Amino acid sequence: MVAAYFAFLLGSLVLRGREISGPWLYLLRSFFPNWRFYHGFGHQPRLFMRTLGDNRQWSDWQMFIPRAPFALAHLLHNPRNNLLLANQNLVDHLAFDIQALPEGHDVRKLVSYQMVTRAAREHLRAQGHEGRRWQFQIRQVPPLQVPVEDMAILISPELED
Amino acid sequence: MYSLYFALRAFECLLASSLLLQTIEFLRLRGVQKSDALWSWEVQRGDLAHAPASIQRLFDWLYCERVHSLHLLLRMGAALSLYAGSSMVSASLLFLSTIVILIRWRGAFNGGSDFMTIVALTGLMIAHWSQLIVGPVMAWQAGLGYVAIQAMTSYFISGAIKLFSKEWRNGTALPYFLDGGLHGPLSPTSVFRRRAIAILCSWSFILWECAVPLVLIGPRFAAAYCVVALLFHFLVFVFFGLNRFVWAWVVNFPAIIYCATLV
Repeated sequence: MVAAYFAFLLGSLVLRGREISGPWLYLLRSFFPNWRFYHGFGHQPRLFMRTLGDNRQWSDWQMFIPRAPFALAHLLHNPRNNLLLANQNLVDHLAFDIQALPEGHDVRKLVSYQMVTRAAREHLRAQGHEGRRWQFQIRQVPPLQVPVEDMAILISPELED
Repeated sequence: MYSLYFALRAFECLLASSLLLQTIEFLRLRGVQKSDALWSWEVQRGDLAHAPASIQRLFDWLYCERVHSLHLLLRMGAALSLYAGSSMVSASLLFLSTIVILIRWRGAFNGGSDFMTIVALTGLMIAHWSQLIVGPVMAWQAGLGYVAIQAMTSYFISGAIKLFSKEWRNGTALPYFLDGGLHGPLSPTSVFRRRAIAILCSWSFILWECAVPLVLIGPRFAAAYCVVALLFHFLVFVFFGLNRFVWAWVVNFPAIIYCATLV
């Protein structure tokens, strides 16, 4: 019986059925774990931001990627870093939502868009860019490639702090 | 002899520790959920736009600052009570509390550790609620059995999916994912950039994860497997900063070892 169960699991990985989705299923997805950790050797959604300088020139796009120094104490208490990772998940969800967005729908109405806008604004404020005009961009970066602007799937309008 | 009593007490105490650690982190993160902050409910409630107005009002109430704080404190009390022993009330309360918290974080705060926490709490619910129809021994066996099956499934699928991936088999994926980790990128001279080391490590993970059905050979083998698992989860913490994963998976070890005594 044990062997049959694990054979079934193997089979389910090869023959995948139709994916079911819906707003409640999304919010309750922790009940349906897929246990597929670090398998996706695919495109990585990345958040980029730029600001308008006093000379009316845009800065270069700066990539945000969650990074933090290691500390053993974080094994017991690690809220800040877990939050950084949760914020990165927002970028992943926005990238997914953009690709699934039906024709004619306004991306700015997406919850993920509004939250990523807030996240980008927070990053800029943390870097001392308060009070400037700014933009953010989402790029889908293929594995092992240097991110370039052609990879953008979304560029926000100019925003004001 | 590894008894059912020892297994369930170890399970309850480890689950209490894992839930406490998570709840204290959630308490520290209340600041980012204020109305002008990133995780403001005013924005996030758009996720419930499809729900009836009464449901939306219920969640508005649950996530107002005062009620949310009280909820987290109540959850902390329920988690602490597990050290003395769980009950149907504490199991149900923690289960419902976890659902409410996960919806507040758009379905998941920390991915796999949330999944595994739900699994452990579901096991606890099975152990208590099934006592309405069967005796406590069978109920706890069912609860721990559910947890063990889910934990073994998690290792097996995680390993099998890597086995099917060309990039994992040829060692390309390992440095790629480590570079993207919270504490990354790897240094240019890291040993994990050497092809042979990357292949060796990748295949070690794949074979070890896929070998999880062998834990059912017996409790000693299961215990040895769990020791390696602890090291594995610790390494994931070291490279990716995922502290919750360590605790969420350790909770399952008593269930895995106990089930190995039954087969």
